[in-house]
Amino acid sequence: MIKTEKVLHLKSSRGRKVRVVREHYLRERVPCFSSLCQADCENDGKVLPGDLTHYVVPDAEVVVNYLEVLEFPELQGLVITQTACQALHSKGRRFCDRLRNLLKDQRHDCVLFANEFQEYSYCPREKAESQEKWQTRCVYAAAVWYYNHLAGLMNVVMITEDEEAVSRFSSLNSGVFVIRVQDYLQNFWPELKAAHELYSSITQVLQEKEGEDSQREFSEHLPAEVLEAGIKSGRFIQGTLNVSKHRPQNEAFITNQGLSTKNPGAEAPLRSSFLLAEPAPTLDNLWEFWAHSYFRFSASDLSSGVLVFGSKSRNRAVHGDMVVVELLPKSEWRGKVTVLTEGQVDEKSGDDSETKAMPTGRVVGILQRNWRDYVVTFPPRDGTQSQSRNSQRILVIPWDRRIPKIRISTQQADALQDHRVVVRIDSWPSTSLYPNGHSVRVLGRAGELETEVQTILMENCIHVPPFSEAQLREMPVNSSENPWTVDPAEAAERRDLRETHLVFSIDPRGCEDVDDTLSVRSLAGGKLLELGVHIADVTHFVSEGSLTDLEARSRATTYYLADRRHDMLPSVLSADLCSLLGGVDRYAMSVLWELDAQSLAVTKVWFGRTLIRSSYQLHYELAQALLNGEEAEVPELARVDPEERDTKLTELTEALEKLTHIGRHLRAQRDRGGALELEGVEVRAQLDEEKNITALVPRQPLEVHETVAECMIYANHWVARKIQEVFPYQALLRRHPPPRQELFSQLVDTAQARGFAMDTRTNKALADSLDRAVDPQDPLVNRLLRMMATQAMSQAVYFSTGAQPEDQFYHYGLALDRYTHFTSPIRRYADMVVHRLLTAALQVEQGAEPAKTPAGNKDLEELAEHINNKNRAAQRAQNLSMGLFQCLFFKERDPEIDPRCVADGIIYAIRDNGVLVFIPEYGVKGPVYMRNKEGRVVSTGPDGTCEWQTGSVRRYTDHIITTSGSGSATFRLFDHITVRISVLCTNCHADSLNLEVINNKLHRSAAPQQPSSQGRNQLVQEVVRLAEEAQEKAAQRPKLPREEREFQQSKVPNLYSILEEIRELALMDLETASRVCPTTA
Amino acid sequence: MAGLELLTDQGYRLDGRKATELRKVQARMGVFAQADGSAYLEQGNTKALAVVYGPHEMRGSRSRALHDRAVINCQYSMATFSTAERKRRPHGDRKSTEMSLHLKQTFEAAVMTQLFPRSQIDIYVKILQSDGGNYSVCVNAATLAVIDAGIPMRDYVCACTVGFVDETPLADLCYAEESGGVSSLALALLPRGGQIALVQMDARLHQDHLETLIEAAMTACKGVSKVLDEVVRQHLQEASVLSRE
Repeated sequence: MIKTEKVLHLKSSRGRKVRVVREHYLRERVPCFSSLCQADCENDGKVLPGDLTHYVVPDAEVVVNYLEVLEFPELQGLVITQTACQALHSKGRRFCDRLRNLLKDQRHDCVLFANEFQEYSYCPREKAESQEKWQTRCVYAAAVWYYNHLAGLMNVVMITEDEEAVSRFSSLNSGVFVIRVQDYLQNFWPELKAAHELYSSITQVLQEKEGEDSQREFSEHLPAEVLEAGIKSGRFIQGTLNVSKHRPQNEAFITNQGLSTKNPGAEAPLRSSFLLAEPAPTLDNLWEFWAHSYFRFSASDLSSGVLVFGSKSRNRAVHGDMVVVELLPKSEWRGKVTVLTEGQVDEKSGDDSETKAMPTGRVVGILQRNWRDYVVTFPPRDGTQSQSRNSQRILVIPWDRRIPKIRISTQQADALQDHRVVVRIDSWPSTSLYPNGHSVRVLGRAGELETEVQTILMENCIHVPPFSEAQLREMPVNSSENPWTVDPAEAAERRDLRETHLVFSIDPRGCEDVDDTLSVRSLAGGKLLELGVHIADVTHFVSEGSLTDLEARSRATTYYLADRRHDMLPSVLSADLCSLLGGVDRYAMSVLWELDAQSLAVTKVWFGRTLIRSSYQLHYELAQALLNGEEAEVPELARVDPEERDTKLTELTEALEKLTHIGRHLRAQRDRGGALELEGVEVRAQLDEEKNITALVPRQPLEVHETVAECMIYANHWVARKIQEVFPYQALLRRHPPPRQELFSQLVDTAQARGFAMDTRTNKALADSLDRAVDPQDPLVNRLLRMMATQAMSQAVYFSTGAQPEDQFYHYGLALDRYTHFTSPIRRYADMVVHRLLTAALQVEQGAEPAKTPAGNKDLEELAEHINNKNRAAQRAQNLSMGLFQCLFFKERDPEIDPRCVADGIIYAIRDNGVLVFIPEYGVKGPVYMRNKEGRVVSTGPDGTCEWQTGSVRRYTDHIITTSGSGSATFRLFDHITVRISVLCTNCHADSLNLEVINNKLHRSAAPQQPSSQGRNQLVQEVVRLAEEAQEKAAQRPKLPREEREFQQSKVPNLYSILEEIRELALMDLETASRVCPTTA
Repeated sequence: MAGLELLTDQGYRLDGRKATELRKVQARMGVFAQADGSAYLEQGNTKALAVVYGPHEMRGSRSRALHDRAVINCQYSMATFSTAERKRRPHGDRKSTEMSLHLKQTFEAAVMTQLFPRSQIDIYVKILQSDGGNYSVCVNAATLAVIDAGIPMRDYVCACTVGFVDETPLADLCYAEESGGVSSLALALLPRGGQIALVQMDARLHQDHLETLIEAAMTACKGVSKVLDEVVRQHLQEASVLSRE
């Protein structure tokens, strides 16, 4: 142990200047993480390659200000010093996390050098030396040490922004060059245009900052110590700022989510992360601790959130920030506005249309900024004229309405007119009405299909670059001249089911990537049944920590957009080697149950790796036909002689029958527990539309769908039990928390309007009452009610078992005490994690040490959080892209003439100045106004046609009445009306659909309701075609690859996965919910 | 407020130590001629002076005397100048009283009190500078002082604090780490037999981690005992050289 010198540090805390003495230990051996190292440093983890021309050591100031430039993967051999890392600490945790991710990222060539703990590279701060100067000196010392340590084998370049440092240090050592960032970029990376632009854009922002005028627009934020004390004493409330989508100017809410996610229930098994967050109660602060928990109780009254009204009280907080609010006195509390969407009602008339006053507060400080990259649109020329005196600064409008306008400085304003650009916010000083930012990347001209799709991806933080060379190199090869074969060594370790089991898959027609297969057979002379579920063994091909694994982890899921999909794994795996195709040998992970043939009780379960060969690749219709005893052509048996064919066919049919029998039993078992059938026939179809695979789903779902789904749920359930048993604190499970009762109020009220009573106390009661609420005349009523029930529920989420108490593991929708995802590893990363856990669990059980210890609770929880976020983003992106295509579809048509722009709608909610309508034909939901901006109301003529007249609107709980000169009209819940669809074009945001009532009767052509699916599918095809035509005309860009268009044919690999997805994602995004019914959001 | 990163990804702590490394320990025995035994010990920036009187007759009320062993009387105090922010009362507050009690319990387990029935041993410890791990520094200093006083003990008593960060136990916490919200555990050990004289933890910790934490604490204590042993031997050598002359 090498311990030396102690060093003095001056430090101020709690506002006062305090002199603190801290020890500082230095050591001779600090790993350098270079492959050129001559001194046998313990370099584990990432190592800088030795074949570079130089290493770069950025100055602290450079890291702080130009971290984004350093993030370019092209910059290699980056050595970040500890000094710089600490300087970044002062800028906030967000930046630290970014740097840390950069350092962890295997794909990026940079390391951290702990220079301040190295005996020879450490320099103590001298008296009266400024911090910046000292940091620069430290970094230079580190650079020199590097050069010497590597015995001069590698040149070291230090980049700095400090002129003085350049002149002072550049000539001191021969191998160590000190230059400015700009010179560095120009000399070493002249072709890296993007970096240059980013650099100049940041520089400009920094210069602007210096010349700020000082007229104050907002009150200053309180210092962090005051905030912390305030939160502890209960004076302030901490939470995430959520800006209302409908009134982004004025309304924002604070959700206490911050508290609940950080401290998962006080009775949870306390883990270290929790302990970090909260100081332990010692005798001294015991009282404080009590007081704290007391106030937290009282804060739970605020569970519905705190309203922040107006931009002054929002005080520079941006959507998503972690903020601290102070409650205003009760006399200043106000309610939310329930009038439909923005611009319709001004503030003066606001009072009467507000709900009852809710806690209102103002932001006093921001704990953590959550700024991400925003897509903005440059305004057209005339919009910039007010800025003309200073043409460099431009206010750009973010695509997301919840984000305020951003001021950026650029010289390319003219060139970028009407373009969508990615920007980052840098700061928001109290002297400025708008935040300052800089541009990062240009996406393209607004309104073009490609640009819009990129925008959607960007806005949801989805990055899907094509798979890199290095990643593809890791993949096994399977080509016609070099076919992939089963490795005999590997085969010996697996259980061989090729001869013993009849394995088959049931998937949608034309499916390429099969990730699950089934088998069933009789054992012990018919006394036992053996059910088997065999899942593609993806983790055999993708080892943990490989580049492909990292990429899959960061993607977390396959993204399905309306016209394309972005795979999680390279296609050689997803469509070939991991796909359990018929007639070829494949590796699998299997679960085999032995069931009693009579009672179907489980007597034995076996988990393990297997080798299978699927005999039949069936599709659903075929399987159902076989079950029904109809004549069906099995392609695999086409060439077999008739006699053999018959025996084989009976064999297969028998297996299917057994399977169906088991499926029914399992379903009944779960129903008794209270499983919700949210995917009820209609809803299933509706959500399928969003998945856009409707061509594959028949309107009448077949029983075999359910059978397959049940088997998969059963497999998931048993795997969850297994891994939780072996790893009680570090298993990845999926839970679905029970919904809050108050969220059901809309459902209950609406159902009451139609005379149905809803019992929402338990999932069983809810399922029963939903089954009862059927209107024989109108099947849509039940569908709508189920949709509302779905919206009231929270989403199912992944979690690590160590982070939740055991009674929280319950899956509400499926009525299972433990559940996970195991059956689709090709397109979900969570399944891959579960596969690895299961493998490790089996190894532990055999008494062997697992090859790699599974991730700890904390890492796993982090991963689960990441996957949840990505899933939500994927869902949002999918919905947005569907919306985009809808808009593009209707944009091409004239709503006045085209018959396709008129459709049947059903009213499902009442608002003050209008109603919310669902259009089954296109699956669109939206508001219909009864009173327009001029204050005119809808009035109906004798034949039901509607027009605008002056009059008034009155709202009741289950209907709305408009009164005008020509009489009054009533619109009730669940009434059918005819609406016209047009597109509201906005340049800067996403276009939206505008619905307008034209008749209060059912739409004529709606009676023979065509399968809604077709409308959807055609819509996408048509829009893609139009976009292509436009491109061909312009001949600007190459055509969309043909494959991309073909993808829409088999969007989702197989139907089971879809069903399962629906089951859970049916528990739809709250996003959607809030868009549809602003009051319950 | 970006919380302090107590353990970097590379495994360094705030002051540059690795997770299992102790602070630098320096000690001298016999610094205070008037007392029967005395010692001065520095563990990093925490500095303590321990003084031992006795065994001697019971002072004050004789009724407290025990017929089969000696009474150990401990008093812990902190110098007013020992912390960064000045302390008002040097001793007698609740924290000090608790600490005195802990010290007493520790030494009752270690000192062979049955050799001195009806008598009393006084141990006074003063923290001159406080930088985390006050309890353990006091125990270590007092051990040296007791040895200096020639009072028989079963073994050295060595104490060390450990904290738990990112699933890793950190040995010998400094003040910055202690105040950073780490759940810390103080352990006093009789290293040769591996007996625990005192464990104290008033933070929350998952029970699964307790074992690893105690394991780490015992290793750290053994490290301390080696240093103390060296100090004692050095002192004896010096003393024997002096007495020979």
